[in-house]
Amino acid sequence: MTLQGLTVRHLLQHPVRSLLTVLALMVGIFLFCFLTSIVTSLEAAVKAVAANRIVVGSAVSLFQSLPTTAQYIDGIGETPGVESVTRFTWFGGLYPGKDAPEPQFGCDPQALLSSYPEVQLDPAQARAWMEDKRGCIIGRLVAQSKGLKVGDQVPLRGTIYPRVDGGPWTFTVCGIYASTKPNVDEQTMYFHWSYMDETLERGEAFGPRGTSVYLVRLGDGVRGEDVSAAIDARFERGPQRTRTQTEAAFQAGFISMLGNLPTFLGLIGGAVLVALVFGVINTMTLAARERTRTMGILKALGFPDRVPARLYVGEALMLVALGSGLGLALAWVTQEPFRLAFGTFIPQYFVSADTFVLASLLSVGMAVLAGMVPALAARRLKAVEALRT
Amino acid sequence: MAGRDPRPDGPVIRMTGVSKSYRRGGQDLQILEGMDLEVAAGEFLALMGPSGSGKSTILNLIGGLDTADAGRIEVAGTDVGALRGDALSAWRARHVCFVFQAFNLLPVLTALENVELPLMLTPLSRKQRREQALFALEIVGLSDRADHRPKQLSGGQEQRVAIARAMAMDPTVLLCDEPTGDLDRSSAEQVLGILQELGRTNRTTVVMVTHDQRASDRATRTLHLDKGVLVAQGAPGSEAR
Repeated sequence: MTLQGLTVRHLLQHPVRSLLTVLALMVGIFLFCFLTSIVTSLEAAVKAVAANRIVVGSAVSLFQSLPTTAQYIDGIGETPGVESVTRFTWFGGLYPGKDAPEPQFGCDPQALLSSYPEVQLDPAQARAWMEDKRGCIIGRLVAQSKGLKVGDQVPLRGTIYPRVDGGPWTFTVCGIYASTKPNVDEQTMYFHWSYMDETLERGEAFGPRGTSVYLVRLGDGVRGEDVSAAIDARFERGPQRTRTQTEAAFQAGFISMLGNLPTFLGLIGGAVLVALVFGVINTMTLAARERTRTMGILKALGFPDRVPARLYVGEALMLVALGSGLGLALAWVTQEPFRLAFGTFIPQYFVSADTFVLASLLSVGMAVLAGMVPALAARRLKAVEALRT
Repeated sequence: MAGRDPRPDGPVIRMTGVSKSYRRGGQDLQILEGMDLEVAAGEFLALMGPSGSGKSTILNLIGGLDTADAGRIEVAGTDVGALRGDALSAWRARHVCFVFQAFNLLPVLTALENVELPLMLTPLSRKQRREQALFALEIVGLSDRADHRPKQLSGGQEQRVAIARAMAMDPTVLLCDEPTGDLDRSSAEQVLGILQELGRTNRTTVVMVTHDQRASDRATRTLHLDKGVLVAQGAPGSEAR
């Protein structure tokens, strides 16, 4: 018999109540981690972008295409500090059996791969993609969720770019990429922009010409703000005015579209924790009320006043450790499913080590607080009064 | 049994001019008034009297669960009133054990664990504690119920476990508050026999509060209280005078 053993017995005295408290803690801590991770994942995506990349879009709207004439491609490419340029167009095709478009982009493969070292692709697969006009590369999660492998044909029904014959566009999977940073997701398909443009040119499909944006890689030591200003100045008089910004600002723009969502999520996470604290205190207070006599017995047997107090704190710690531990485990194992579910909304959803540490520290604080409430009362409790209950 | 202390030859309990009052419903109730009492080592003392006469208060004061308003209480050579906090707890663990009418076993522990519980306050190893607890259960004839929880035992068995818990600590003083109050005749006889034997063999001083004349007949001395004052005392079986 040990005091720890006695604590465990007390915890198991009302298994249903303990179980419900543990489940509440599990859900609460999981929710806290989840909500915090949405915010941190969005922030991480912004922080992870390279400083040497800028995005050129229409000054009118992100949904307005930019021309792909030599005036633009060469004009941007000739701007001092620019190393490479790729067209980048949202395709919005539907995979078979799906009714919501998923991320596919037409791009210039060579420029894309050289601009995004965080896209990891086998060199042989990269070469195959360059050589196959109808080729594409897909993210690891696309391959996983759709059961695709290199060599497979991917039929996509165009929504923005439907084919005249009503059939699907067909792409060949040349490679499967992985991402090394949270700013690049693994749920996108990249294909040759020129394949799409030539098909449109031949009249086999229809849709807006041009490109959604230009992705520009800068030379070493070049300030993105300076080049952005130079590009925008070049197209000040049209034919289509541009709005150029650093990739970080471009990503942050997407987050700002969410309004005060991060603050809102933070508030909900905080409220969940406060509710949990009340819940655990309630459980411990109930337990303490039922165990007043037990504490009186311990004192009458000669246990010092601090022992009953320690039993309560220990019990709260065990309860919270169990519930929070399960919540943290749940947050850990659900990272991958959430990454799939979020798609490009949160490119690389993950629960950071900081979030785990914060949730653990808050759990310990919660347990100490919940245990201290009955513990202080138990310390003051007079054995003779406790034994009368 | 746990760390036996030498039993003094003189009185183990000495109460001198002890008074105690409680405040109930805005009124001060005088429970004990100028009580003097001496109890020798190995004595089996029965305290009798009507409800509210101060019998249980005497037990609580001797055991240091409550403090006197006036007077001095000396137990095993220690002024109990001078002890506070951890020192009082440590002294209680070493010298005093209680047996209550309501048994007061921990419901989440088995009989063996209940007996073992106070032994955690001694320097004994885990193995020694277990052996000692088993031995105490054997003495009260319950070694075959060691793994039973209190709710799986009869009232008489529960009380014997409570006595085993006290015996395992080998206290200088055993304070029993109506130990047979909730028991049938046969169980009560068993419990009283064990208490009697403790005084004879271990020279444990037993102070027992009881309403039961047959229980007090087993004592070496009986005191009668009324309104906080000793009104009579007598030898076993004698009528109150």
